[in-house]
Amino acid sequence: MSSLNRALSWLLGGRKPLASHLLLAPATLWLIFLLVIPAGGLIILSFAKNGPYGAIVWEFSLQNYARAFDHKYLPVLFRTLAFAAATTLTCLVAGYPLAYFLTFRAGRWRNALLVGLMVPFWSSCLVAYYSWMIVLGKEGLLNSALIRFGFLSEPIGFLYTPFAILLGLVYFYLPFTVLPLYASLEKVPRSVIEAAYDLGADRWTAFFRVTLPLSLPGVVAGCVLTFIPCLGDFLTVEILGGPRYYLLGNLISNQFMMAQDWPFGSALTTLLLIGLVGGLWLYQAWEKA
Amino acid sequence: MSEKVTRRGFLKAAVLAPLLPAFLDACRRADDRRVVNFFNWSNYIGKDTLPDFTKRDGIEVRYDLFADEDEMFAKLRAGAKGYDLVVIGDYLIPRFRALNLSDPIPTGALKNINNLSARFRRPEYDPEEGSVPYMWGTTGIAYNKKKLKKPPTSWWDLWDEKYKDRVSMLDNVRDCIGVALLMLKLPATTRDPEHFRKVRELLVKQKPLVKQYSSSSYLNSLVSGEIDLAMTWSGYLFQTARENPDLDYVIPKEGTHLWVDSLTMLRGSRHRADTLRLIDYLLEPEVAAANANSVRYASPNEKALKFVDPVLLKDPRVYPTGAMMKNLRLNAVLDPEQSELWNQTWADVKVA
Repeated sequence: MSSLNRALSWLLGGRKPLASHLLLAPATLWLIFLLVIPAGGLIILSFAKNGPYGAIVWEFSLQNYARAFDHKYLPVLFRTLAFAAATTLTCLVAGYPLAYFLTFRAGRWRNALLVGLMVPFWSSCLVAYYSWMIVLGKEGLLNSALIRFGFLSEPIGFLYTPFAILLGLVYFYLPFTVLPLYASLEKVPRSVIEAAYDLGADRWTAFFRVTLPLSLPGVVAGCVLTFIPCLGDFLTVEILGGPRYYLLGNLISNQFMMAQDWPFGSALTTLLLIGLVGGLWLYQAWEKA
Repeated sequence: MSEKVTRRGFLKAAVLAPLLPAFLDACRRADDRRVVNFFNWSNYIGKDTLPDFTKRDGIEVRYDLFADEDEMFAKLRAGAKGYDLVVIGDYLIPRFRALNLSDPIPTGALKNINNLSARFRRPEYDPEEGSVPYMWGTTGIAYNKKKLKKPPTSWWDLWDEKYKDRVSMLDNVRDCIGVALLMLKLPATTRDPEHFRKVRELLVKQKPLVKQYSSSSYLNSLVSGEIDLAMTWSGYLFQTARENPDLDYVIPKEGTHLWVDSLTMLRGSRHRADTLRLIDYLLEPEVAAANANSVRYASPNEKALKFVDPVLLKDPRVYPTGAMMKNLRLNAVLDPEQSELWNQTWADVKVA
């Protein structure tokens, strides 16, 4: 941690204004070129029309938005919300004890374990999901192990089920929950917890009355960071999910790939973006309050 | 370490680094090495086909793969530059032309163009012959002989309740909508909304039985026992069946579509002459035959047939017999409006 701090202060050059502007430039350019311009392009495209063979016709129209509010997409929306909520909840239930352990119990292993938490991110999630296919398949590791130890007589089709999707999502998004939790638990002053003990609180009381409330900002941040990207995920269902668990992300990716209807795909993306920004705005308003 | 990274040095590098792509691009432009950039389906060329070409003609082939036709199309449409040659399905040819993605191949200039069988010359989807047929095949049913008591014979077997969760369908508009129209005995070129409503109903009805819609990983699922029946492309199954003799292929009795994949030259190609040489090479009888023997699709090259492995040539699953041919139809050529109806119907099936 301290070496990271040193590296950062070296980079920031002891807060020289010019240097810091220069150093902010890459990040700003990055945001402009890779976020603002593409997102702006998508928004403009969402008002265009779809021409013959998927050619884009630059005529202003709202028809893409009108189409997006068709009731046939409602189940997709609800399914997406349900999967995102279930993922967030599972990540929270599994992630909180993990973050707690990392903060208070891991001792000198803490940094190694934090790195370990990030290791799955070093490979593409495509590779990770294909590995999960090997684990979950009918002839996969999980089935062979369960049969070997006599829990099953026939292999179960784990793949292409809601279970596989949830597993994939939790696997991928768990660090997004754990890291903010860890950061906020880390900030809980040990002296306050000790004070609770001194005042006669037992472990559980101290946890529920002191530690947990003080870590709530981390809980909320972790949930937001997990829930939001989940809403746009399409790869998980594409690889681990079956045809009956089509999510918003798949709907959008299909407009660009299979249906070749980029304006409609852009309109759906814009709506998702509005939903996300609106949600984040609410969250910030809540945080300030 | 004598060289220390100074802050100034770091910043200089940070400023110069973004210029690197421009520099590399300039190098590329100056590049007059003989090269063809070839974009093809995965598992769709013989092992020695391209190395032999490079050895003989001294032209390097940079070979890039796709596993999903929609993805390839979206990539090229979005402006992926640098490819000279691509293999695309018959139905994409008018689309590539309409979107100005391809340039017609001057087929008259090809030495070996007349090796092609007459039935693949000037097809309906490409009356001007600006593309060169590469392979052809059929869409049928792959199944695991060990897992099924009775081999499937009909497309309706994929709708049979007893195969619930054991079926995979190609994740592809052309094949699914095309087959559904065929099953309902509706004309492939219809634009009647009522027909498309029936097609949608038929495919939605099947959805609870379908384990996956997939165009690439379904044969792995078939091999690993995840599924037992799959709508498949012929040669892809025969490639897999080489190592998995339990797998078999059937052309359903209702018939199916015969499709043709063609070599297409991309607009903006900077290596036109060498691309033409590669196409001419692929049309040579021995080369085409070795290629077809390896990928196990049928060759449209008449002169190549005498070099094709007799086992494949006599196999009616690969080269359907005259009687079966009557049941096979070329993919219908769709105008933009019909094409939109197909896409919409398929999109609705996926959402349902």
